Amino acid sequence: VLIADGHLPLAASALALRRDLTQAVPVLRERESGARRVPSRHKDSLERRVGPLLAGQGPARVGLPEMRAGRVGLAVALLGGRVQTSGPDQARGGRTREVAYAIARSHLAYYRALVGEGELAWVRDVAELDACLGAWERPTARTPVGVILAIECADAILDAAQVAEWHRAGVRSVALTHLGLHVYGHGAHARGGLFPAAYPLLDALAASGIVLDLGRLATLALRETLDRWRGPVWVSHANAAALAPAPENLGDEAIRAVAGRGGVVSLACSAALLTPPGTDAAPAAGADAAGPSLSAVADHVDHVCQLLGGADHVALGTGLDGSFGRDVAPADVDTIADLPRFLDILRSRGYGADDVRKIAHGNLVRFFRAAWSRPR
Amino acid sequence: MTTPLLLVDSHLDLSFSAIQLQRDLTVPVSAVRAHDPEPLVRSFGTCTVTFPELRRGGVGIVFGTVMTRIDPNDRWTATGMYVQSQCHGIGVGHLAYYQALERAGVLRFLRTPDEVDRHVADWEGDGERTPIGLVLAMESADSILGPEQVPEWYEAGLRMVSISHYGVSSYAHGTGTEGGLLPRAKPLLDALAAHGIILDLTHFADQAFWEAVDAFGGAVGASHHNCRALVPGQRQLSDDMIRVLIERDGVIGVACDAWMLDTRWERELPGCEQRAHVTLDAMADHLDHIAQMAGSARHCGIGSDLDGGYGQEQSPLDLDTIADLQRLVGILDRRGYSMADIRGIFSGNWLRLLKDAWRRKTT
Repeated sequence: VLIADGHLPLAASALALRRDLTQAVPVLRERESGARRVPSRHKDSLERRVGPLLAGQGPARVGLPEMRAGRVGLAVALLGGRVQTSGPDQARGGRTREVAYAIARSHLAYYRALVGEGELAWVRDVAELDACLGAWERPTARTPVGVILAIECADAILDAAQVAEWHRAGVRSVALTHLGLHVYGHGAHARGGLFPAAYPLLDALAASGIVLDLGRLATLALRETLDRWRGPVWVSHANAAALAPAPENLGDEAIRAVAGRGGVVSLACSAALLTPPGTDAAPAAGADAAGPSLSAVADHVDHVCQLLGGADHVALGTGLDGSFGRDVAPADVDTIADLPRFLDILRSRGYGADDVRKIAHGNLVRFFRAAWSRPR
Repeated sequence: MTTPLLLVDSHLDLSFSAIQLQRDLTVPVSAVRAHDPEPLVRSFGTCTVTFPELRRGGVGIVFGTVMTRIDPNDRWTATGMYVQSQCHGIGVGHLAYYQALERAGVLRFLRTPDEVDRHVADWEGDGERTPIGLVLAMESADSILGPEQVPEWYEAGLRMVSISHYGVSSYAHGTGTEGGLLPRAKPLLDALAAHGIILDLTHFADQAFWEAVDAFGGAVGASHHNCRALVPGQRQLSDDMIRVLIERDGVIGVACDAWMLDTRWERELPGCEQRAHVTLDAMADHLDHIAQMAGSARHCGIGSDLDGGYGQEQSPLDLDTIADLQRLVGILDRRGYSMADIRGIFSGNWLRLLKDAWRRKTT
């Protein structure tokens, strides 16, 4: 079954973590181990110098070969870049809007280069979506992975007037904030609403036909956004706060609101968003020492399906190889090629073939198809 | 304070400093210094360049780089890439930073001889209200995916390109290696020449330098480069190299880096654990050497490279920020340079080369 991943920071992994994603994960890991590194002995070489920017990164889990092996043929590919003045990632984000913009453009350029190489294929409208689905009916080792471009945090959009430019570049989804305080409003981990600049931005997004990712908004900011926004909504990367009360997870009311507007919640494969109550320092009693596994993701699927009375509004948005390289993947995900096992877990829990297909890709495909079929 | 003399700095890695080192370049140097984490300073040095400081120093035109390279063994900046698609991404990000600053009114791209003339007039008329002029340059051509992409980069404003940096690029052997051009270099060089893009001869391995000089028909310069006769090492230009730059009517931007300026600098030791043994006078020595060979100051310029992987610690002792480059006016004056020569070194020579090169565009 084709898997669509609603949240993959491919370019951030390629550029910030220096991973050539056309290579298989074992190659990436071997490079990162430094095993084959033989520094030059040339007098004028810089290779003996060691600096502080080496990320303490976890093992790579996503390469395009593994995506193909797991039939992850469609992904919402992120354009990162944000101003990070507060929140848990403060030390890692940029400091100015111009830098946030530049990083998003660098990610766009990387995707564009991989489209040029035939590794990726743009999915920007219904025709390209159908072409991608068609190609993955009978995939080969060279079938391009379809990508829907999404801006992870609107900080990268310099102002409302720039929305049209991003739409022309292929962007089809935008989230207003990340964690902490951002240019257009308060994100999860902060308390507060939208800033005035968010309103013209929302209007420009609506006019362009870009869908809104409601993820990672502060409570008040989410309410203000829902009051203003009439277009399609979804959440690219969050779980159910009822099971794991992280600030970026969604309460039942928010999940109902997204579903009520025809949206989809793509569930995250990030340990911090899966774990039951407890803190990092003191995990809850009974928690698996190795961290949550894919069955924890299935628990969140169960919760959302029971809450909504069906499987029409849930999808996957793994976020694998994000989090600045921190290792937050479920314990039983070695690479993204393991995702089909998540579908096996769903089957073993009694989900029928139709529901498995919807969760694997059908819901996301339906959501974007509908968004792109709306008259503007 | 008297108005500083207009200075063209032919090599500043501004985007790298802003994006990879996470500095806000729109605030005073003092604010960046207060904000930079200690491990960053230990490795990349104390900040010397921000936009307010450029203004204070009369630096009205900068060659701002797109700076990324293939360099899998890079453990220092941890930004060396494996393949060109990655370099292309980072490179476009560097371009986009400058574009965002142009949108904010901080910078203004200079793309044509007319734009250069207008900018100089504006700067000398009302410098405070004039954005800093930016000539888009590239250090290592790895972010150009191939010759077919040169028109796109030209449209974006790219006007000067070095083919390699440290290590072996997709096109040529660079500093710290031995070898010549690679097979893909020639079509790229032809495309650059056809667009009137200046070939920056800085950061070639020696053999590659000579092969590039032979293969390239357009205008040449050396954006940040000192003299091997004064400071030995592959990174510096031999007298023969200086001679060919003079013959081709090029300009050499003398750099501030103690690595290239101070024979007693210990390359194995981090910059923060030693002091340069030279002052700005050493830069004048290199300018002198070039001027003596040429018989005039026509081929001398300044390409400080400040904050390009080093900071105040690794700069001349009497340089605190880039604004101190103005002190070269007095130093050169005391050495007998005429005001016309000093103006040439500070701005005129580079501006002449830019305009001459850009008029040679054939496509």
